[in-house]
Amino acid sequence: MAAIKASGLERTFKGGIKAVRGIDIEVAEGEIYGFLGPNGAGKTTTVRMLVTLLKPTGGNAVVAGFDVAHDASQVRRRIGVALQEAALDPLMTGRELIILQATLQGMIKAEGRERSAELLERVGLINASDRRVGGYSGGMKRRLDLAMALVHSPSVLFLDEPTTGLDPTSRFAIWDEVDRLRREGTTVFLTTQYLEEADQMADRVGIIADGLIVAEGTPEALKAESGAPHIEVVLDQGSSAEAAERSLAPLGEPIPAGEGHDVAIRLSDSATGVADAVRLLDESGLSVAEIELVRPSLDDVFMEKTGRRLEGAATAADEQ
Amino acid sequence: MSNERTNDRGVVPALARRALNELLRVPGAAVPGILAPTIFMLGLSAVFGNVTALPGFDGLDKYMAFVLPVGLLQGAGFTGAATGVNMARDIEQGWFDRLLLAPVRRPVLLAGIVASAALRTLIPATALICVGLLFGVKFPGFLDLLIVALLVMIVASASACWGAIIALRFRTQQAAPLMQIGSFMAVLFTAAYAPMALLQPWLKAIATVNPVNYVLTGVRQGFIGSVSWADTWPAFVAGAGLLALLATFAIRGMSRTSD
Repeated sequence: MAAIKASGLERTFKGGIKAVRGIDIEVAEGEIYGFLGPNGAGKTTTVRMLVTLLKPTGGNAVVAGFDVAHDASQVRRRIGVALQEAALDPLMTGRELIILQATLQGMIKAEGRERSAELLERVGLINASDRRVGGYSGGMKRRLDLAMALVHSPSVLFLDEPTTGLDPTSRFAIWDEVDRLRREGTTVFLTTQYLEEADQMADRVGIIADGLIVAEGTPEALKAESGAPHIEVVLDQGSSAEAAERSLAPLGEPIPAGEGHDVAIRLSDSATGVADAVRLLDESGLSVAEIELVRPSLDDVFMEKTGRRLEGAATAADEQ
Repeated sequence: MSNERTNDRGVVPALARRALNELLRVPGAAVPGILAPTIFMLGLSAVFGNVTALPGFDGLDKYMAFVLPVGLLQGAGFTGAATGVNMARDIEQGWFDRLLLAPVRRPVLLAGIVASAALRTLIPATALICVGLLFGVKFPGFLDLLIVALLVMIVASASACWGAIIALRFRTQQAAPLMQIGSFMAVLFTAAYAPMALLQPWLKAIATVNPVNYVLTGVRQGFIGSVSWADTWPAFVAGAGLLALLATFAIRGMSRTSD
């Protein structure tokens, strides 16, 4: 049984604005599904429908075995949600907040206390557990938010941009935790604007643009679909670019070289590597300063499918 | 593992405790709610102290005893409105989504939010009564104090429901004036500052159908005379009716949050 299954899901707001225009999503149990889309694509609206915060105006969605519109309470019992902005009361301590969340999930106080200690330890906040959340850093708030979402051991976890704005260390801490959840068999619906995050963590990725799913598949399949890898070559002085293109012709078609590169060849066989290129250039007596194999990234896929770059893509790369 | 039980019991005290937490950790937050009705009561008593000589006051010697109950209802109204403002803040900041994502029945969530207002209003009420007693208002007796406490809690709850209706409708703290004006007008259009006999006919007509006027009479009785069943039961019926009506609209507003 799918952990999340949406069929023809639609949401039209007052004034006739169609934010989501009939999308189909199926996420298997234990799968990590990366959900990507530029701002205004319908990403948040989709998530809000799947977590029962917003009623669909068309189609249907079943999460953890229950219909989001007709069995919302049953869905809420089975899902954990960490929304984009970690909404935490700054006057309460981390421990108090987890206990309150446990109460909201129907757990008795003793259970809540026990679970809070367990989760605070798990997300590395045990030493800050009795400090007011107002004094927490952004990364600590995110980890606490994640702990709160896990208080009732949900079978499906929705993480809406869990690492946006975090420094690399805090981001890696969240990634570790998501990886652990994967090993524990939790289904994770991960919305992110960091392509590297989706690439590394998601089993499958869905890209939404203008309220429709425009691409879906494993990151590898999407990247392969986007095109074959290419090699970029920087030649030593005295070596001719034309001669290099001729000698590399058996590997594929020449394409415009990127900035600072002399030659670029789109490989006709993705199994071909840098070694083949070096060998061919060497046989032609050409001297190479630099050569690299460039594989299509999710960013290329995103660009191809949506016609624009994802806002956070560059930021994530810069911060690494 | 998913929790299959329905256990809403702990939710109301937990949410009320969260709201009270603000007062304990930022004690200054309670000051405006105490100060405003107290200054209002002292100022009015100083300016209009001699109106008790007019017919209709039935020989009452202290005007402060007449307006102290008005201050109590104003305090309850302000506390309820503040609850509405806090709710709007929670909506703006996303905390309210956290509540809506919990498998808790909407009326229970509302009860938790409203319960905090009912409890918080006892702070300005206690302060106001102490100031009144210091200025010579007669001690009304413990039975009347109990009636007063219950009635101001009902008014604070009704005002919190009004605040919740506005917060859910506009979803912004900028709607705060609308939350405050509700309880302000409800108290104003009563025999707040003069007995019914002295009111202009139009105001008397409104006060006659205004449930808050009956609550005011119930709160006032022990301070200006003695407690009677005839003044007590209409106060509770009117207060409970008003609360039930506003709570119905507030619950409706809560269940429409996902529309």
